Amino acid sequence: MPEAMGHSEEVLEEGEDLLTRRAFVRVLAGVVGAGYAGAIGYPIYRYLATPATRASAMGAVTMVALPGAQELAPGSALMFRFGTRTSMLIRHADDTWVAFDAVCTHLGCTVQYEPDKERIYCACHGGVYDQHSGAAVAGPPPRGLTVYNVEVRDAEVIISRV
Amino acid sequence: MNYPVWDVPTIGSGWVIGLIAIFHVMISHFAIGGGLYLPFAEARAIKKGRKDWLEFLPKHAKFFLILTAVYGAVSGVGIWFAIGLAAPEATSTLIHNFVFGWAIEWVFFLIELTTAAVYYYTWNRIPQRLHLKVGWLYAGTSFLTLFIINGILSFMLTPGAAWLAVAGSGEESSRFFQAFFNPTFWPSLFLRTLVCLSLAGVWALVTASRIDGYEKPALKSEVIRFSALWLLPAFFLMPLCFVWYLMMVPESQRVLLQLGISTIGAGTFTQVTRAVLVTVMSSATIVGVVYFIAYRSPRDFRFGYACAILVLALMATASTEQAREMLRKPYVVGEHMYSNAVRKTPVRVGDESIPEVERFDRDGYLTHSIWATDREKQAWAAWDAQRARAAILQAAGDAPVLHPPVTPEILRRGELMFRGQCLACHTTDGYRPMRRYLHGRDRDSIGNLLAMLRASAPDSPYRAYMPPLVGTDREVESLAIWLDALVNGPSETATPQVAAVAAE
Amino acid sequence: MQKSSSPVFENRALAAVWDFADERLGLSDMIAFAKKKQVPQHEHSFWYYWGGISLFFFLVQCFTGVLLLVYYRPGVEAYESVRQITYDIEFGWLVRSAHSWSANLMVVAIFVHMFSVFFMKAYRRPREFGWWSGLGLLGLAMVFGFSGYLLPMDELAYFATKVGLEIPMSIPVVGPFLGDLIRGGPDVGENTVQRFFALHVVILPALFVPLLMFHLWLVQRHGNAVPPGEEIKPAERRRSIPFFPNFLAKDLAMWLIALNVLAVLASLYPWELGPQADPLAPAPLGIHPEWYFMSQFQVLKVFGAWFPGIVGEALGILLFTAGGIVWALIPLYDPDSRNGQRARIATWLGFAALVGLIILTAWGYLAL
Repeated sequence: MPEAMGHSEEVLEEGEDLLTRRAFVRVLAGVVGAGYAGAIGYPIYRYLATPATRASAMGAVTMVALPGAQELAPGSALMFRFGTRTSMLIRHADDTWVAFDAVCTHLGCTVQYEPDKERIYCACHGGVYDQHSGAAVAGPPPRGLTVYNVEVRDAEVIISRV
Repeated sequence: MNYPVWDVPTIGSGWVIGLIAIFHVMISHFAIGGGLYLPFAEARAIKKGRKDWLEFLPKHAKFFLILTAVYGAVSGVGIWFAIGLAAPEATSTLIHNFVFGWAIEWVFFLIELTTAAVYYYTWNRIPQRLHLKVGWLYAGTSFLTLFIINGILSFMLTPGAAWLAVAGSGEESSRFFQAFFNPTFWPSLFLRTLVCLSLAGVWALVTASRIDGYEKPALKSEVIRFSALWLLPAFFLMPLCFVWYLMMVPESQRVLLQLGISTIGAGTFTQVTRAVLVTVMSSATIVGVVYFIAYRSPRDFRFGYACAILVLALMATASTEQAREMLRKPYVVGEHMYSNAVRKTPVRVGDESIPEVERFDRDGYLTHSIWATDREKQAWAAWDAQRARAAILQAAGDAPVLHPPVTPEILRRGELMFRGQCLACHTTDGYRPMRRYLHGRDRDSIGNLLAMLRASAPDSPYRAYMPPLVGTDREVESLAIWLDALVNGPSETATPQVAAVAAE
Repeated sequence: MQKSSSPVFENRALAAVWDFADERLGLSDMIAFAKKKQVPQHEHSFWYYWGGISLFFFLVQCFTGVLLLVYYRPGVEAYESVRQITYDIEFGWLVRSAHSWSANLMVVAIFVHMFSVFFMKAYRRPREFGWWSGLGLLGLAMVFGFSGYLLPMDELAYFATKVGLEIPMSIPVVGPFLGDLIRGGPDVGENTVQRFFALHVVILPALFVPLLMFHLWLVQRHGNAVPPGEEIKPAERRRSIPFFPNFLAKDLAMWLIALNVLAVLASLYPWELGPQADPLAPAPLGIHPEWYFMSQFQVLKVFGAWFPGIVGEALGILLFTAGGIVWALIPLYDPDSRNGQRARIATWLGFAALVGLIILTAWGYLAL
């Protein structure tokens, strides 16, 4: 094991300048150091990243069930969350159902359903969307609202991505 | 279940074993590693004709002898006392299997102690070659004590299929060798041997720190560097041996490690996983610390630094031993006996051979208990009958659902259930305290939790750690009543005498 | 001594970076200075590391404290946010546990540091200001602990703060007024959390850090003190090692040990979060302040029992204040002892203080 016993001369503080040992110690220190960096860094990364991870887990939602939503009165809307996104379910007066992402494509305000004017309206900058297709028809919005599939069942309404 | 129950308040009986064992491991592994260190160093010193080394080694041998032969031996016996009190059923199982093993252990142990004393007291009094032989004899026998005890310790984690096939039949000792050379025997032996070598180095640093570095600079530097090198084998081989060890551990126990990483949310590793990670970290660190404060400047290495390294070694040992113990959950003898001494494997009683869990559920956990008087047992039977009638009436819709009456006998019954089935791991107020765990739960909610523990369904989160709760419905109900009194204070129907019992 | 190129790096690119920085920042001068600086070595030199260990735990406090700030919300939401940190946020339990354990370890380390300085008589001329600034740091650390303990607003924190405030409240005349001021009202509530938070993360660090700098500057200026037993040795028998790299390497090794101790405690014994504080609920049994306030708490309790009314509490406060003053002024009446009579009296005083604190603290816990 040890060759240290061999020499009896005064051993210097710095240790023998054997290149091999230096390299060896350096590699060891690197490995242990990396271990520490991982052991401390990983929990901290996870700690700081939690809200983002949660959000992306929510964003991965592809389907939402809204129990009782089949009772929605004709000519009215229901706001709900699709994953992290604010969304709206509309039952038109003619008993057709449609669901949109309710975030205005212009600057991110929440849009509202105006049954009397037969439109979807964004009060922030006056954006107007078609109440059936979600297409942008007037005002600043660059494109239409994202449309979801709607399936009305006996006790719930199922919303899913197109 | 007819053994007395050892109720240690606050720390629980398990920690009594734990505290003795952690210090015992520090010393006993030194007894083995140091046993190699001394003759090895002596032989080298003789070969190189080093007088100063031969003057230093007896000092180390003296420290070694006092520490291992006195404290090591006493704490070792202390462990057996403690486990006999804390887990008598498991100890009984071990003795029934390994009585011959213990006999061998005692032979080696006697030789070990004798040669240790002879080795120290004959220094410079008998021929060097003979003295060296005594040293090697010590090293051999002390290693064999580890060899034997390792078989028994690793048996408790992994008894092996061959032994489990006959467990409970009364013929267990026919599989002595299969049980002894169980699946984790070899990896565990290698791991422990590596720990022995490391601790030999660490403790030698303690003695070496007492050499005056300015009067004998060469000697001090050499001894310290020689000792520091004893840590290296463990540093490199320990991870490999550890992986090997885990491979041999049954899947159900390995899950305990993975559980923490994958399912129990919010990055909360399980206790086992954390203990394992901390062990890896402190074992690696100890090498770095020894390099920086001992190897690089040996002359200035003093007693205080040696103590700091000992603290680190103690941390590593403590977390390793804790991880090893936790890995065995929910058993005290793997796949055979749960930590509360209830057997999982069938046990032959009369003509019947069924698992104790089933028998207790059917016949009652306390039916044959010798810790309850006949008067108490009669009172329980009467209470059970009354409850059965109430249940029929309730089912028929003729009576409102009421909580059963709380009598002193029923509280006593609940307490006996607690002592028999919970006390092995839990205390009322200290370690894993029931009062805090159940804080905020009412009678019904405690009852629901107990029902979950009793069902011990495959998807139950408690199943991986806790044994199933056993006993009749009424016994479990009595336990709920007692726990409710413990957590929420005695209910109004209880008599003052009962209140005193519950407030204990 | 290395002249032109890097003393640290053999790699050419790294050496170039080093040269760039060195030319502008004078790094080699600092290293040369650190190499020339000597740290005495003797049988008690192990105690030199405790100041460094305290510093390490303080750094851990800063680091974990900032991490907790990311999610902590003072005021009414205090408990809820700590609940989220402990149970919701990944590894939040670990960050919080490390912060709490490290706080306690820091106070332990400062106490060890203080007593070792005392027994090595390192407060003597010219190091009086080192002693006083150190006491100031200890005091601030205790206020840090006190204010931080309340922030989770669980049951234990609430009641411990309530009983802990009895200490300043029992100061004659101004006590009750002071109590209201500290609490921000007649009772501990969200106002208290809010101002304790301001104290804990703004005011105390703003006081602590400059004082710490001053303390470290004094250490650098006067060097490590040697105990009288070492001073009487002839110069050729005194030993020392260079600060860089020898002492620093050992210091860092001690930090590693401290980190490991912290890791074991924080990960295997996670700091717990009790139920939310309910001012209307009866105080749980055995409520008490943190261990480093236990001796004062016990003195107040005992004096309160011996001399009922305001007299007892006033006497208790008086006793502690007097003790603190005697302790703080030690450099003035034991200024230059060389193992003589006065030095021995000071040593006995130190033992009396140590034993007294331990007995009072143990008594406090046993009397719960």
